[in-house]
Amino acid sequence: MTISLSLDTSTSRTSVAVDDDGSVLCSLTHDDGLAHGEVLPRLVEQAISGLHIDQVIIGMGPGPFTGLRVAISFGQAFALARQIPWHGVCSLDAIGYVIGTKDFIIATDARRKEVFWARYTNGHREAGPLVGSPLTINNLKVPKYGEGAIKYLLTSELEYSYPDATVMSRLVKEGQVLRDPMYIRRPDAFVAPANVKFRPMNPMDLISVYDIEKRTYKIDPWSLGQLKEELAAAHRWYFVAEIEGKVVGYVGGLYVDGITDVLTLTVDPEHRRNGIARELLRRLIDWARTQKSVAMMLDMRVGNIEALPLYESFGFVAISQRANYYGPGIDAVVMRKELQ
Amino acid sequence: MTSQPLILGIETSCDETAVGVVRGRTLLANVIASSVEEHARFGGVVPEIASRAHLEAMPNVIAEALARAKVDIKDIDAFAVTAGPGLIGALVVGVSAASGLAVALDKPLYGVNHLSAHIAVDALDSDHELEPVIALLVSGGHSSLLKVADLTSDVRTLGSTLDDAAGEAFDKIARLLELDFPGGPAIDRLAILGDPAAIEFPRGLTAAKDQVEHQFDFSFSGLKTAVSRYLQQTPTAIKADVAASFQEAIVDVLLRKAIAACLETGIDSLVIAGGVAANSRLRGQAQARAEKAGIRFRTPSPILCTDNGAMVAALGSLALTRGLPASTTGLAADSSSGIERVIWD
Ligand SMILES: [Zn+2]
Repeated sequence: MTISLSLDTSTSRTSVAVDDDGSVLCSLTHDDGLAHGEVLPRLVEQAISGLHIDQVIIGMGPGPFTGLRVAISFGQAFALARQIPWHGVCSLDAIGYVIGTKDFIIATDARRKEVFWARYTNGHREAGPLVGSPLTINNLKVPKYGEGAIKYLLTSELEYSYPDATVMSRLVKEGQVLRDPMYIRRPDAFVAPANVKFRPMNPMDLISVYDIEKRTYKIDPWSLGQLKEELAAAHRWYFVAEIEGKVVGYVGGLYVDGITDVLTLTVDPEHRRNGIARELLRRLIDWARTQKSVAMMLDMRVGNIEALPLYESFGFVAISQRANYYGPGIDAVVMRKELQ
Repeated sequence: MTSQPLILGIETSCDETAVGVVRGRTLLANVIASSVEEHARFGGVVPEIASRAHLEAMPNVIAEALARAKVDIKDIDAFAVTAGPGLIGALVVGVSAASGLAVALDKPLYGVNHLSAHIAVDALDSDHELEPVIALLVSGGHSSLLKVADLTSDVRTLGSTLDDAAGEAFDKIARLLELDFPGGPAIDRLAILGDPAAIEFPRGLTAAKDQVEHQFDFSFSGLKTAVSRYLQQTPTAIKADVAASFQEAIVDVLLRKAIAACLETGIDSLVIAGGVAANSRLRGQAQARAEKAGIRFRTPSPILCTDNGAMVAALGSLALTRGLPASTTGLAADSSSGIERVIWD
């Protein structure tokens, strides 16, 4: 018998539940996106009265930062005071858990005309969570649920809009455990670290590039031979980012007939979320302008889907979707950015 | 429970994640984790970076404070937390953590005013009368002259800054002099090597005409302009002299007004608190000038002058000892709360 106290403040709803190995003892919610800090302690006080609690489970987001941190800060302190463990789960998983459909998308409101979203296949989160424009997921032809999907009229389904705190202990039992908040979006002040250097790619870099390529694209990485040909071919431009002499990312472009294609934009998984991809893409856009490109285009690989919000922030817009482009079930999104 | 209550206080209004433990008026632990280095490259505190750092540091800072105080969290009689003023996202992390502790252990929680807490720290490790007192509160966020009749219920503003806070002026001048952020300690160190009388910088709001409307108010923007102009016009400027003379101008205005407030109100006790109170010239001059005017002067040790959790615990301890009711469960952080709101309902 494990009694869990589960908390979530990642959406406009504050959710609190107490369950005993999955059987729900108490479930309380309150809808007010600006009052998480006031509401949560009161709901918890009500929910736990007289109960012995064995563990705390916390929705780690994604969600608007200030509200999100209420449950995390409260839950961690509660666990510390009671000297019991706490576990975090992805808040979007706590929405999707009870949905029976095979494929779907959960989208919550990220403010600033964006949504936090993740795509699920057979009940498993296959992509995300990400942050981006509602327009992007509008192109994906699967059912959508969640507060963000409702807000941006991507669905008329009002059920499954908020994290369900009563299922969070089951997510933990299945091993879906997190320790850090899922911020996804970076603080506005973020810049690439000063120790990152940017320079043109040379043949000496190919071994390192191939190594990152293999680790990033499990399906269909470029071979060493392909990379070598690419670097030597005409109308191409390849650039790398390095930290202390070690290549950590690269970008490649091809200019043909007024259009610059983004051939690759890849950052070593160990150096992601560090502003490096942003700096690389900025340099490629500069190069495209020097070639007098009228537009830039790219195909988004699913394996590289984390880059989607980055492209959107530079003004790339999804213009079409190619089904099964990278093999069965793996779609490509085509994006375009005008340079006029 | 021993005769004196055991209080744990949490402070997260700006960039320090701080937890203090006090028993009555005795300081047991004061632990501070600062994210100042993460902000240094932006030249100021970035709210979202501060909030993330608070959340990350909080459990460890609480645990460390308990360990250093050698107390079990179950023995804490009441919790206290800064509920305002401050950066809202940062305050929310502290208030939520404090609520989590209080709800988990079913103990009272006091939401307290950050500014009053800066003054209340003066209660620690001493048994002197606390009130009435004139308090000069000077830091990066605030420059106020306060009349304190009761630390837990009656604090009034006599005057405050019309533009920059004193600490902000230090930061801005430090940038002009190409010194490190935060600017206060950097200028303090450099000024020791300079001559405070080398350059006559203006003393804002000290003219006879200002005595009517702005007797106890401050203004530091004119001083900043004067330093900037001096540096532009003087290629041979000696940085240490500029730092010393600028610091002298600020210290002079602060103390002139603080001593005048004591004399005018008939309160013969002065406390200087807040981050700028750590400035060595301000401390030295305050001692000398107060003595001359027959005023008892006190200032907390430098570590207790900057934002810390002990000051929050100290104010919570006074509130509990004096029988004030605890704040309601789910007290709301208020980023712009005035000085009148000392303890949250
Ligand atoms: Zn302060």
